[in-house]
Amino acid sequence: MSLNLLYSAREGIIGLKRARMATAITISTVTISLILLGIFMVLTLNVHRIVSNFRDQMALEVFIDNSLSSEEIRLLEDQITQEEGVAEVLFISKEEALERFREEFGDDPLELLGENPLPPSFQIKIQQAWQTPEGIEDVAKNIERIRGIDEVVYHQNLFRMLDRYSRIIIIVDIVLFSIVLLSAILLVSNTLRLTIYSQRKTIQIMELVGANQSFIRRPYLIQGILQAGVGGCIASLVVWGIWRGIEFRFPHLIEISPLLLLASVFLSLLLGFWGSLLGLKRFLNTT
Amino acid sequence: MIQLTEVWYWAGENQILSDINIHVKGGELLCIVGPSGAGKSTLLRLIHMEIFPTQGSVIVADYNAQMMTEKQIPFLRRKVGVVFQDFKLLEDRDVFENVAFALWATGVRRKKIKKRVFQVLAEVGLSHKRYTLIPELSGGEQQKVAIARALANEPFVLLADEPTGNLDAESTEEILELLKRINGRGMAILMTTHKEDLVKTLPARMLQIREGKIVG
Ligand SMILES: Nc1ncnc2c1ncn2[C@@H]1O[C@H](COP(=O)(O)OP(=O)(O)O)[C@@H](O)[C@H]1O
Ligand SMILES: [Mg+2]
Repeated sequence: MSLNLLYSAREGIIGLKRARMATAITISTVTISLILLGIFMVLTLNVHRIVSNFRDQMALEVFIDNSLSSEEIRLLEDQITQEEGVAEVLFISKEEALERFREEFGDDPLELLGENPLPPSFQIKIQQAWQTPEGIEDVAKNIERIRGIDEVVYHQNLFRMLDRYSRIIIIVDIVLFSIVLLSAILLVSNTLRLTIYSQRKTIQIMELVGANQSFIRRPYLIQGILQAGVGGCIASLVVWGIWRGIEFRFPHLIEISPLLLLASVFLSLLLGFWGSLLGLKRFLNTT
Repeated sequence: MIQLTEVWYWAGENQILSDINIHVKGGELLCIVGPSGAGKSTLLRLIHMEIFPTQGSVIVADYNAQMMTEKQIPFLRRKVGVVFQDFKLLEDRDVFENVAFALWATGVRRKKIKKRVFQVLAEVGLSHKRYTLIPELSGGEQQKVAIARALANEPFVLLADEPTGNLDAESTEEILELLKRINGRGMAILMTTHKEDLVKTLPARMLQIREGKIVG
């Protein structure tokens, strides 16, 4: 049985060598489709990453009454932590606020005014479920009610915009990705059919001498897997190369895991198998 | 062994075969003679079960066309050898590989393949050319390879559709001699031709076909 499979593989490879032109065209087509698909896959994965990173950054700034003692501030922090929708509370003391001001503006208010005018504050990160314009407003209002809170600052408009556009971006991305995926599948199965078509005489002879259907299919499925596999490997390398180029100029803009490349190669093998199966349908008609 | 009873075949609107009754007995040599377009190839395709009768019954050994499943067809094909006027060989392989192909494609063991290929090549008289590529052979030799391939799986009947249609007089003579020899060893042969004088010298039963009808 396994020896038989070996013969089928040999037959498949002989066929590829014979149909050299069709094979070259098929592998090129597979490669190009998979490069496009790969680029979109990386973009899609990273659009989600960038958008969700951005959402995570959505923070409330909560200014505290300047006269509170550090004990009272700790109690306040506990109280805020327990509020619904709050993910993380970070305390920024008067001194830290001053330091940040210096870094950001280069001026030193201490020198200008003789004292530190900046109040202590909390930076609050919102839980994912609350990262909507409405959710953030609710959280802000609830915190504002707590005694000892001076003011809650957040940019609702910015949130609203981010919310709207990120959704559009993700939808457009998913639509484009689906189109590219579908065209890749169609293109690959069509070109695989080209290779099979160029070997139709061999198929005809197999049917003539009484080979069964699964046996006839085998060399061509192996061919499909081989061609798509080669295309998939080249495409993965190219996508990886493009990513390295981007990474060189804009570090950490986009992430690629080796697992993704591996998954792509595996996917291309599946595509080859499936594409050949589709391609064979038109040539196998015993009855 | 092969029994066609009241067979009608229509291709769409066109009536190709009408009321065909043929019985081929074991070991028999039967020639079907008729002009081009009479329906000879269609008849053989019915027996090879590439097509199925519109009406009537086609029985080949244990296989009944009416009850054939897709899975059974390959097994029938192994027991019905066929050759055509255009040989249908793999041009980029040698003689040995072409014959071995039929055995390989039907799951025969490797050791057995080699032995059997040598056997049938000896039978058709091509042992000395076993490693010659197909395009380097004459038409007659190519048809011998096709016959060897058809015999490889030890069929009980050989269908030959105008086997000499593409051959010169000398090769034609050789192929007819070969078919006669194979038949002499007990193999049933059903052969078609449009040249009646060709088969007159053969020890064969003859059937005339005209416009899809057996006329004598
Ligand atoms: N699939 C088909 N559709 C329509 N007509 C066909 C088909 N196959 C064969 N024919 C017609 O059937 C007739 C018999 O064809 P064929 O069996 O090839 O004749 P022969 O082999 O005796 O020359 C011809 O007129 C041919 O045109
Ligand atoms: Mg014909």
